[in-house]
This record gives sequence, structure tokens and C-alpha cells, in this order.
Amino acid sequence: MDFRSLRSLDEVLAALAELGDAACVLAGGTDVMVQLGRGEIAPQTLVHIEHVGELSAISCNGHVRLGATATHSSIAESPAILNSYGSLAAAAASVGGWQTQSVGTIGGNIANASPAADLLPPLLVHGAVVSLSSASGSRTLSIDQLLTGRRSTACAADELIVAVDLEPVGARTADAFVKVGRRSAMEVSIVALAVRLTLDETMTTVTDARIALASCGPMAFRATEAEAALIGTTLDDDALRAAGAALGNRAQLIDDVRATAAYRRRLIPRVLGKAVAECRQTIVNRSESQT
Amino acid sequence: MMSVSLNINGRDRSVNVDGADTLLDVLREQVGLLGTKEGCVEGECGACTVLIDGAPVDSCIYAAAAAGGRQVTTIEGLARPGDYSPIQQAFIDGGGVQCGFCTPGFIVTLTALLRRNPDPSRDEINNALSGNICRCTGYSQIIEAALLVAAAATSTPTPAGAVAQ
Ligand SMILES: Cc1cc2nc3c(=O)[nH]c(=O)nc-3n(C[C@H](O)[C@H](O)[C@H](O)COP(=O)(O)OP(=O)(O)OC[C@H]3O[C@@H](n4cnc5c(N)ncnc54)[C@H](O)[C@@H]3O)c2cc1C
Ligand code: FES
Ligand code: FES
Repeated sequence: MDFRSLRSLDEVLAALAELGDAACVLAGGTDVMVQLGRGEIAPQTLVHIEHVGELSAISCNGHVRLGATATHSSIAESPAILNSYGSLAAAAASVGGWQTQSVGTIGGNIANASPAADLLPPLLVHGAVVSLSSASGSRTLSIDQLLTGRRSTACAADELIVAVDLEPVGARTADAFVKVGRRSAMEVSIVALAVRLTLDETMTTVTDARIALASCGPMAFRATEAEAALIGTTLDDDALRAAGAALGNRAQLIDDVRATAAYRRRLIPRVLGKAVAECRQTIVNRSESQT
Repeated sequence: MMSVSLNINGRDRSVNVDGADTLLDVLREQVGLLGTKEGCVEGECGACTVLIDGAPVDSCIYAAAAAGGRQVTTIEGLARPGDYSPIQQAFIDGGGVQCGFCTPGFIVTLTALLRRNPDPSRDEINNALSGNICRCTGYSQIIEAALLVAAAATSTPTPAGAVAQ
């Protein structure tokens, strides 16, 4: 198998234009190398992008932008992410072990589009916009436009994910990520959920709610019905029950090696309740620390 | 096949690899360094952990060609016979080794942790070790060994980096 380790974005885009389907982009390789080892893929050429310096930065000029090769370790440790996008930092810190996090990247997690990809729920609730480039031009897609199905995205063979932009976080807004696996470490999730919640000035009524789930269908998704069940409420028990039910109805649950569909159905409302409570607590704590 | 120049334990080596060859296979079969172990070959167990530019990486799922031009440190780069690093000595003193198959991976990961943080808490140690599996010790002796080194670091201040050379 050929291997091209490239140093600049232009070189990568030229290689992808030349090779098309025969190329496989290699970032941290934590998915690609496992797939190669299992014989699931057999590309002609690996196009290695880890050393393309311009792709790895996490910057915050007005809004937060993550380069495609930002690693899970760098995301979990970034002050900008920890301050405003705690759910994303928590998700990155839950991907495999330290060895997986030191090389695994956000671009790889998105492009691989696993039904259990942990970074996708936080990216969905934060309205992430993905920048794609090819030798013939650039375009942007929202993360939900990019995801097209189980392990499939709208990223063409000659395109590279170059960066991910996050929507700014306004006042009285907080997020949370809750992942349930069979054990606490090194587990692919049974359910992974992110919530982004905004309260009104009295800090009682929900003005915006965003909920996204992974491992509950062929691909990660935003659950708009459950969101609508929370907006305008004071997060009373009835509202939470309605949102939990809407979430369960929207999920396409299956029995697999990790859990049964019935177990997932019972779990979903509890995980939602936990994440919502965490968001509300963070908003309250922040306002108390300001006064 | 392509030629790649690797820096392994401070020495430059040129190896001939296929693009899909893993760093683990190249270390064991071409370079003859057998301290790095092959367990699951899927990134799950950490037996194959090496440092690449100081960060722990599972060499069984890392392409050898991707390591070109970078500093690779294996367990052999941390040990000198009779002159163990503090964490190696603590494994011996604290009974952290039983069959020993997982040990190189644990020592390499803990070396990376202690270089960044000479005095890690139990939680930080657990967290750092979540990608290393041991089927013999039940982990407690391993964690105690790391805590022994941490305790020594607080009682005799050493500059970060000098701890686990
Ligand atoms: C032991 C283990 C545990 C894991 N646990 C988890 C977990 O808990 N949660 C989780 O979500 N994932 C997990 N993973 C999967 C994996 O680590 C992540 O998906 C990781 O983020 C992939 O990033 P990478 O850089 O390693 O991708 P690679 O393997 O390099 O690439 C993955 C895919 O994305 C494509 N690609 C990479 N970068 C780009 C780009 N910039 N533009 C376009 N295409 C690109 C590649 O061609 C390939 O198809 C685990 C993996 C292992 C080995
Ligand atoms: S052999 Fe590499 S992680 Fe198990
Ligand atoms: S000592 Fe035997 S696997 Fe750890």
C-alpha cells in the first residue's frame, strides 16, 4: 500500500484530486488502522494528514474553530473548549483511552460517522458548521447536513474536512454530555447524549433546548420533538417526562452486543434528566459566581 | 515498499515498510525490539504502548510510516539493566508485575504521566491507565506503585522530567 505523508493542505487536496476513490485519508488512524487490520478496507494509497500544521489548531477569534486534526487530548485540555463547550471536552475525554485520545482526531470522528461517535452529539447541539475543501473549491455544511447515514457523510472522495466552527454560547446557556457504557472506561457507548439549554432572565423558563443522541440509531441526530417538549417549560416533571418519551420515540433502538433495545429505552429518559439537571446547575452556579 | 527514517530511543534507523505496516510489527520484526508486546492488535489493551514525541500511542494501530521523523520511545529506551527508573523500581517493590505481559505498556504510559505531572492523584493515575489492561494484578499494585513514585516526588522535589528518565 502506498503512503504519502504530506505537510501542506494544497498537497493533500492535489493528492485527493489525483487519486479519488483510490485514496484513504489517514489522520490518527485509530479507525483506519483497525479497519485495515480487519481487512474491511483496502485503499491503494494512504494520504497522511497528521503533519499538516495548518489543520491542527483550536482558535477562538470571536468564535471557536477546531482544525480537523485537533486531537481528542488537545480538545479535552483546551481552555476555550472547557469554558464554553464542556460537553465537547467531556466527549473527547471519553473516546477510548489516553492512547486513543493522543492521536485520534475530531475530523476522523466526524468522517467515520459511526452511530456511536461521541463527538457528534455535542457538535449537533452546538450547531457545528463543517468546512470542506477540495482542489476545485470549498464549501460549508452544517453537521446534520454532513451526516447522511450509518458510516456515511456528504464528504466526497476528493474532499477534506478542514475545520469545524461552533456557534457562540450566550448568557444563561450551558451544556452537558452524558455517556453510558458497560463500564466507565474504554467503552463504546450504549447511549451518548448532549444537551444545550438556555434559561430566561428569571432562570426558571427554558427559552432554548437542544438535544442530540448517539448510539440510538444508524447515525447521531438532533431530537427536535424532545426539544420542543422542553422549550417554554420550567423543566417540571411533566415536561421532562414528555421530552423523555419523545426522545425514546425518535430513537431507532436495536439489540446489539452492548445492550438490548428495551434497556436503551429505559435508559434514555434518565440520561436526559441527568444532563438537563447538570445544565441547569451550571447556569445557576455561573450566575451566582457573577453576583 | 518505502524507506522511512525513524528515531527510536534516540537513534536514527532507516526501515523499509509498506504503507499499512504497523509500528508494532516494525519494532518487533525489523528493529528487533521485543519489549513492546502484541496483545489485541486493535487498540484496546495498551500492551503495545510506545511514546511518540512524548505521548502514549498504541503502536499496533499506528502506521510505521506515520512515525517518520518523530521520536519513538519504547520500553527499552526507559530501562537500563540494573538502573531502573523510579516507576520501574516501584513496580518491583510494590508487586506490580505478575505475568509481566502488560508491564511494558503500563510503564510506558505511567512514564508519560509522571513526566507531565510528577505528583498525580489516584484519579489521575486511573484515568491515564484507562487504555491499559492487566488480567493478573487487579490493578491495585500497579496504582500503588505509581502512588509510591508520586509520594517520593512530593517529599524530594525533583524537576519535572527528571522523575522518570
Ligand atoms: C480502542 C478504541 C476505542 C475507541 N473508542 C471510541 C469511543 O469511545 N468513542 C468514539 O467516538 N470513537 C472511539 N473510537 C474510534 C476513533 O478513535 C475515533 O473515531 C477517532 O476520532 C477517529 O479519528 P482518527 O484521527 O484516528 O481517524 P482515522 O482513523 O485517521 O480516520 C477515520 C476516518 O475518517 C477519514 N478522515 C480522517 N480525517 C479526515 C478529514 N480531515 N477529512 C475527511 N476524512 C477524514 C478517514 O479516511 C477514515 O475514513 C475508538 C477507537 C479505538 C481504537
Ligand atoms: S496490542 Fe495494541 S492495544 Fe492491544
Ligand atoms: S501482570 Fe499479567 S497481564 Fe498484567
